[in-house]
Amino acid sequence: MECPVCIETFKHGDFNEISEHFTLMSNDNDSEHISWLNNNISKTKLEKNELSKLFKRFYSCNDIKLWIINKFIEQFRGERPHPFILMMQDYNPRILKGYSFEHYFFLKQWVRSCSSIIASTDIDEIQNYEIENILSEYYGHDNIKPHIELLLEMAESYDIKREDIYNSRPLPKTEMAIKRWQVMSKAKTAVEMMAAMHSLELIANNDLRSYGAKYDYFNLKMLESSDVPDAVKSFLMEGYKADSHHSIDALDIINKYNSDIEGIQDSYLESAFVFSKYLEARIERGEIIEDKQQ
Amino acid sequence: MRLLKTNNNDGCALCNATWGEYYREIDNEKMLFCCNICADIFENMVNEVKKRTGWEKIDYIELHGNYSSGRNCTAFSNGKRFSYYFRTYSDGKIMEFKNID
Repeated sequence: MECPVCIETFKHGDFNEISEHFTLMSNDNDSEHISWLNNNISKTKLEKNELSKLFKRFYSCNDIKLWIINKFIEQFRGERPHPFILMMQDYNPRILKGYSFEHYFFLKQWVRSCSSIIASTDIDEIQNYEIENILSEYYGHDNIKPHIELLLEMAESYDIKREDIYNSRPLPKTEMAIKRWQVMSKAKTAVEMMAAMHSLELIANNDLRSYGAKYDYFNLKMLESSDVPDAVKSFLMEGYKADSHHSIDALDIINKYNSDIEGIQDSYLESAFVFSKYLEARIERGEIIEDKQQ
Repeated sequence: MRLLKTNNNDGCALCNATWGEYYREIDNEKMLFCCNICADIFENMVNEVKKRTGWEKIDYIELHGNYSSGRNCTAFSNGKRFSYYFRTYSDGKIMEFKNID
């Protein structure tokens, strides 16, 4: 079992140890651990035994697919969605410009992560799934442009040159997330890494409302608006279609081959923790671009 | 001397969490926060309110909201009030700050 914030490891299933760790970190006023406790366990300080019970409840899982979906919705698309999701409920060119830059670096890491999964398994179903994923994200297939090309075309529709993106650096939050995924790629099993990466595609899953999500990935009216460039519509629509089956198909594979639920939970939580920061970087980049234009 | 208070009485002056015990003096009041990030956010917010209103002191701030939705607030000083909305990144930087009429 690992701390989702700092990756300190504990004995398998030892909720007392992880509770003690979070208590110690909160006594040191560590903002990341306190924020994680506030958002996932309780805003009220608890004695070790009480906290241990809540951690046990948090990790309690009969179906890893549903556990991941529920945790994801809670953090990103539930009653208290991620600020990026809230901002995508209106057409906001600033946010989409920021998205264009930061997501380019995300996608470059994405194919590295998928490749590491292919390299670490003999299971055909997993390898085939990852190859198809890389094709749709990075190479294109059946006359459908790859996601990365649609991203760059979206940027161009806002007069951002491809070279400006190629020559930029990811913001620190994106860079930190990429580093975390690179470390995970080397340490995790194929199934754990699938949980880490493909769960994130739930962000755009258009069927998530049937699982309790309160918000769509973006305001669907954008697809009909004459104010929105066609390249933006194509980018959003393709992701929306592809990520729906990518995320659910991956969760079904994870369910089928899972041999260590706790390892999968740890991987998902680690990845979701940095993904939240990465989504902030999309907003922050938009702000930087807007400030430069003023 | 008037001291700055908020409606969060259980714990952290910004988020009301009772984890952590981090103190910072803001407007002559030794205030309790759960961590340095909440203290930074609160201090930046107080400075922004003073800049926008010209007030030298704030008596009380009513805060409603969270990281996700941002916070709707009303600050009070000497019988005057100022309503505003603000949202921050997780590292405490201000993402958005606007006056509410």
